Amino acid sequence: MIDVLIFFIGASLLLYVLLGGSDYGAGIIELLPAGAKREPQKKIINYAMGPVWEANHMWLILVVVILFMGFPRIFTTLMVYLHLPMLALLGGIVVRGAAFTFRHYDAVQEPRSQRIYTVIFGLSSLWTAFWLGVIAASLNRGLIDPAATSVWTAYVAPWWGWYPVAVGAFVVCIFVFLAAIFLIGETTEPELRRRFTRQAIAGNALVIMSGGGVFLASLAEKDNLFAEFLREPLLLGVLAVATGLCAALWRFIGQGHTLLMRTVAAGQVTLILVGWLLLYAPNALTTVDGAVTFYHAAAPPATLRQLLIALGVGSVFIFPSLYVLFRVFKINRHGGTKPAA
Amino acid sequence: MDNLEAARATMAFSLGFHIIFASVGMTMPFLMSAAHWLYLKRGDEIYLELTKTWMKGVAILFAVGAVSGTVLSFELGLLWPGFMEHAGAIIGMPFSWEGTAFFIEAIAIGLFLYGWDRMNRWAHWATGLVVGISGFMSGIFVVAANAWMNAPAGFDWIDGVAHNVDPVAAMFNRAWLHQSLHMQLAAVQAIGFAVGGIHAWLLLRGKAPALNRKAFRIAMTFGAIAAILQPFAGHFAGQKVAQHQPAKLAAMEGHFETGTRAPLYIGGLPNVEERRMEWGIPLPGMLSFIAHDDFDAEVIGLDQFPEEDWPNVMIVHVAFQIMVGIGMAMAGLGVLYFWFQRRARFPRWFLWTLVAFIPMGVIAIEAGWIVTEVGRQPWIIYNIMRTADAVTPVPGMVYHFYLFLALYLSLAGATAWLLRRQVIAMQLKFGDRDD
Repeated sequence: MIDVLIFFIGASLLLYVLLGGSDYGAGIIELLPAGAKREPQKKIINYAMGPVWEANHMWLILVVVILFMGFPRIFTTLMVYLHLPMLALLGGIVVRGAAFTFRHYDAVQEPRSQRIYTVIFGLSSLWTAFWLGVIAASLNRGLIDPAATSVWTAYVAPWWGWYPVAVGAFVVCIFVFLAAIFLIGETTEPELRRRFTRQAIAGNALVIMSGGGVFLASLAEKDNLFAEFLREPLLLGVLAVATGLCAALWRFIGQGHTLLMRTVAAGQVTLILVGWLLLYAPNALTTVDGAVTFYHAAAPPATLRQLLIALGVGSVFIFPSLYVLFRVFKINRHGGTKPAA
Repeated sequence: MDNLEAARATMAFSLGFHIIFASVGMTMPFLMSAAHWLYLKRGDEIYLELTKTWMKGVAILFAVGAVSGTVLSFELGLLWPGFMEHAGAIIGMPFSWEGTAFFIEAIAIGLFLYGWDRMNRWAHWATGLVVGISGFMSGIFVVAANAWMNAPAGFDWIDGVAHNVDPVAAMFNRAWLHQSLHMQLAAVQAIGFAVGGIHAWLLLRGKAPALNRKAFRIAMTFGAIAAILQPFAGHFAGQKVAQHQPAKLAAMEGHFETGTRAPLYIGGLPNVEERRMEWGIPLPGMLSFIAHDDFDAEVIGLDQFPEEDWPNVMIVHVAFQIMVGIGMAMAGLGVLYFWFQRRARFPRWFLWTLVAFIPMGVIAIEAGWIVTEVGRQPWIIYNIMRTADAVTPVPGMVYHFYLFLALYLSLAGATAWLLRRQVIAMQLKFGDRDD
């Protein structure tokens, strides 16, 4: 039962990174100078994200609900010792959700207020993505200390340092990369396509560089990633495949083949996430006293059973409706995007 | 403010904020679907305009509701880890169902908002209805979780640890039915009246009468039906509270001494030091009758509980009086609405009264929420765990409070500004068109 729940957490995280991540990245892309392309770019992003935005956000809520029902100890430990980054994350989620919707539904579409929404949306996307990375990095650093006596060691030290910063930057780069790849296929306008293509290539390079940065920053950690990866051949394999796929990606970008480049990019990000999960599985988090696994922290079986029933019944409803949603707005759209009326 | 007070203030503020947007999210889709259905049936373009006008409001308010709801799911842990550590496994079930319902709602709203001309028109109409139904279900699930805090069930509490956890029994606790019935009716009533009041105001100003008359009727039909049913649901809830949380009922009514033929006070302020009511109008035996269907029944007073287990009597009593007062007035207005509706004419004073009632339903919801939450204090899980034992050990919660206060106030300001722009844009579009 617990394995199924771990699978659900992993799958939800993956879908959040792939789908929600593109939404974050789109916001960050809008911060870049765009000149005359700003308005058409905004239209594409509004139209590409608008219908699926709320649904994409739900994957994060799902993770939170599975954690607090199925693994309440993990949930509460995170919320206590990573209180500050969680707060930063939450503030960002509130602001960017509001800014995006307000921009689209403001009855008076004037350039000045539109620009303000866009900047707020972009900055809060950047901010939130960064803190997602910080939180992810802090889970298994082994610095969470339930016996800590000072404010610093208890509530700051677990997420303080170059390593979380590097992972935060890495997540930002991944999101920008995903968004650019995704947006290429959302428009038929050649100039915008070229623009997104350039961003996708730059994003790809940034992912590789910031990924290297994560490895370097981990040298200062208790367990550095070089040693971890050398210890585990499977991880090296995952890393090699993810990097190797770059060749295919560049080829498909060159050909402008939307579906294939999306698939390869999603595959790469999936491998990164799988690698990250494999690195620590089955540990959910690591405190100074050692690892807390999902198995240790699980709720009583009666609760897990009900959680699985809810997830099972939910899947029966959610996946077909998601299919309809993506079918209506994303698939088989031959003439490309018509901006919403 | 100490840490506990700051955490409570943050939670109160977050919930008080979210509850408004959640109520809109539960009600507006039904109003919208009704207008949409009338358009599809009758082909009258005005109904289409109305549907799209309401839809924009729904989109804005839904987004704010979704993000403020996300905040709450985190805040359960950020503010009350001591609670969630034990309660998560017991009461997570309604939350998992709520998550499912909300997921479907989020998908359906994407389809509805952007699906014009892209889907079969009836399928498109159905997505709007699904938004309403799943939102309504979410509301029931969340209130069921709150009800468990009032009427804990589904576990044995032994030495500070929960054993024999039964999530199904926890979800269907003794309070879930009356609380969710009361809350769902309140949402429909408050939002129906608020929307009806806005359109009454536009009617009074002579703006697009054909559209506003239709809008007014749809919104008020929902609001008035809910308002007329609400006193019954409220009475049902009051009787359950009398059975399960006598201290809360005693605080609501300012009932200090246990006794038979207990009086019901209209108005009045409790004097907690002297343990008596001041200035209220007592109706002898009425409290006994309301609580137990018998004028001579004994009603347990606050004297049966040690004072450290009392909720804040002043706050609970005043909030309760506000809620009941507004609720009764709205029920009366609901009856009047149907009366005038039958005579096919709404006098101007009635429309002006409804304009004055635009915020009243929401005020009553907030007051009712205060009654149930403050009335449960000092317990977070009634008779099991004290709120003070559940609060986070993280220091400086007061800054957390200020941060969210600032965030939410700006969000509320921005939302109000946007809705105002919607209404102005609508007026500009329709002008003084006499259609």
